[in-house]
Amino acid sequence: MKKIEINPMTRLEGHGKITIFLDEQGNVDNVFMQVVEFMGYEKFLIGMPIEEVPRTVSTICGV
Amino acid sequence: MSKPKLAYYLAGGCGGCDIAVVDLSETLVDVALAVDIVFWAPTVADAKYKDLEAMPDGSIDVGLISGNIRNSEHEHIAHVMRKKCKTLIAFGICATNGGIKGLVNLYTTQQLLEKAYIDTLSTDNPNKELPQTSITLDGKYELTLPSLMYARPLNQVVNVDYYIGGCPPHYEHVKKAFTALLSGQLPPPGSWITMGKAVCEVCGRNPVLQGKPKKFATTVKRTIEGVPSEDGCLLEEGYLCLGPVTQGDCGSKCPAANVPCRGCGGPIPGVKDYSLRAISAIASMLENEELVEQIPDPIHLFYRYTLPSSFPYKRLKS
Repeated sequence: MKKIEINPMTRLEGHGKITIFLDEQGNVDNVFMQVVEFMGYEKFLIGMPIEEVPRTVSTICGV
Repeated sequence: MSKPKLAYYLAGGCGGCDIAVVDLSETLVDVALAVDIVFWAPTVADAKYKDLEAMPDGSIDVGLISGNIRNSEHEHIAHVMRKKCKTLIAFGICATNGGIKGLVNLYTTQQLLEKAYIDTLSTDNPNKELPQTSITLDGKYELTLPSLMYARPLNQVVNVDYYIGGCPPHYEHVKKAFTALLSGQLPPPGSWITMGKAVCEVCGRNPVLQGKPKKFATTVKRTIEGVPSEDGCLLEEGYLCLGPVTQGDCGSKCPAANVPCRGCGGPIPGVKDYSLRAISAIASMLENEELVEQIPDPIHLFYRYTLPSSFPYKRLKS
């Protein structure tokens, strides 16, 4: 099965990848979009004073 | 003469530094006309990693990388950028020191993944599945993901020529940096591109600049307690502000908006470990030792932008 990878997806913030699988006839069999990064704000914010959170989580996406 | 070639890669960041470049507005037109942008992914140009990999080594004059190095894909592209670019710049505090996203280093990858994918109240994941670096779906679709690593600033992965701080760098500072780059008026390699002054030195609240004496802080307050004065030093009033040790290329924008500095500009010249210097600076400005106990959440305050580049952390890792 032929595989085409489009990496990275562009003109957006965040890292994504598209993988296209082609069958024997060259037709599209299946397509997957993956978000390839992971941040972890859910965990590392624990313990932070609430008033500090807005200026911190604004860095989840700066666009 | 051909135009200098420019490449930009966003690694483990948020795109805010990319936006800081776009914030050059009219100046951006001049910059865009003066350079040949050969790669800017994933945010601005429709370039793919294989396009960058296919370029001859050393063929790009200036490369900028924003974001920290957090997974195997970031690490790989950072190495590719280093090979292709004559001059490589760590752009923004994530690339120079690890940034807010560097706080992931407080936990193990397993702890972070379990919280995000299993333990949060809004997550529906009955089979408790976590991301895998490779998986075969329905027996035939092979998919891969980069492997996660602890966060590192760029200089722990490749050699870095220049550093520009900020979260994001203020566009006025970006303008100065680009002007210096395009005119070739750069400091020695390995330097920060900065005017070299601390936030306090450009802060309208600094009593010394107003001809008044500097006083110790007699209380420690959270920013939700009370209202700061209009033009007094936030630190003297008990609002812990990291202005004394932070590069002031931002023009002291946060204190001007009644918000204490959190250190995104990076260390003032001569400081090797930002967080230790910040702890020392704050401690020396408190009236008595008991106040130290009242500092709320010291780790997220002093290490907010610089955990992966701090001495104690690096020592732990080694």
